Amino acid sequence: MAEQQEVQKYLQQSHDKIFESNKKWAEEQKAKNPQFFDELQKGQSPDYLWIGCSDSRIPAEAITGLGPGEMFIHRNIANLVCNVDLNVMSVVNYAVRHLKVKHIVVCGHYGCGGVKAAMTPQDLGLLNPWLRNIRDVYRLHEKELDALEGEARYDRLVELNVVEQCRNIIKTAAVQQSYAENEFPIVHGWVFGFKDGLLKDLKVDHEAILKDIQKIYNLTN
Amino acid sequence: MATAMDALDRIVEGNRIYAQKTAAKDPNAFLELSKGQAPEILWIGCADSRIPETTICHSRPGELFVHRNIANCVHADDMNAASVVEYAVAHLKVKRIVVCGHSKCGGAIASLGDADLGTTLNTWLHPARELRRRHKAELDALPDDDVRALRLAELNVHQSIDVLRQHPAVKKAVGDRGLTVHGLIYDIGAGQLRLLEDAAARGKGNGLWSPNRH
Ligand SMILES: [Zn+2]
Ligand SMILES: [Zn+2]
Repeated sequence: MAEQQEVQKYLQQSHDKIFESNKKWAEEQKAKNPQFFDELQKGQSPDYLWIGCSDSRIPAEAITGLGPGEMFIHRNIANLVCNVDLNVMSVVNYAVRHLKVKHIVVCGHYGCGGVKAAMTPQDLGLLNPWLRNIRDVYRLHEKELDALEGEARYDRLVELNVVEQCRNIIKTAAVQQSYAENEFPIVHGWVFGFKDGLLKDLKVDHEAILKDIQKIYNLTN
Repeated sequence: MATAMDALDRIVEGNRIYAQKTAAKDPNAFLELSKGQAPEILWIGCADSRIPETTICHSRPGELFVHRNIANCVHADDMNAASVVEYAVAHLKVKRIVVCGHSKCGGAIASLGDADLGTTLNTWLHPARELRRRHKAELDALPDDDVRALRLAELNVHQSIDVLRQHPAVKKAVGDRGLTVHGLIYDIGAGQLRLLEDAAARGKGNGLWSPNRH
């Protein structure tokens, strides 16, 4: 019982903020639109799938001004899309085949800790396999990156990593088959900058990448 | 229904407004953010579009480190989630991990049965479906699939927490500096979060109630 009380106190302190804020938010939404949550309860039909970094500074919905129900979200270290990763692959699969999203946005960000770690020649233990994917992106663009210095090189790897992940998504059977049939989803590569809080469009050319990869990766039958 | 390009314009415009508003409120906001992150919480939630964690918690950018996947699962052999946990716990030193499931979860609903969803999703949901088989009697006794899916979502949060507790960085941080792991359920119909507290009923403490015991 004494333990129970102590625990209650602990939980009170540690969770008050999150629960209070949540309650306040829920009340605000209901005041604005009494049907708000009833509508959401009926299901989701988001137009977008967002694949972004886990970084706490880039809450996808907040920075795009979208509300609940509008964007399906996957976030991991350095917004990677690896073909043997069941986690991200099931997200892409579900979003494309079941939710039929129209756009897939891969969003990286300047100052990404994951990319920075991958640029550090060091054993990072459990993170090695994951970061290896970024190191591979570096290897693919070694010449271009080596010609750059410091921040410029770092920023460029962030961009190249996003483009590479867009390519990885386009390589999936789900995206290729849906695109052949419906002309969506379209894949976009963006980078968030802390300088101004704006998203930079890397102008990833979905059609061109698709044509390019289909020589080897065509999965549309 | 908006056309494909309109949908995209919308978030580009939404971002412009976000950037303007944020800078208007605090001209140094982005400068501060650019210096780095020190989130206290790692949020592991569902990819479901209806649960934007930062919005529903009224949090600010910089407060929640986020991993979201189908049905907020943490599987022991998943390098994606394991890397997020490693980075958040060992490098960013978050103080708490929150696993948040929710009502009306598509992943939980799909796990109530064995419909073929393709190899990828079948494999991903396999542990949740196994969980359903292990709790068959309890789930069968519930009135309808809505309630069953919610209960399975709860069980799944506990399962994710059990896996998390075995993660080497989590184990170490729980012992060394009192990292705590919590289970939450978000009620989509009410917009509210609720703390899961039936850990004791499962016959063993999962640390939820006792931050310093492990
Ligand atoms: Zn990042
Ligand atoms: Zn869900």
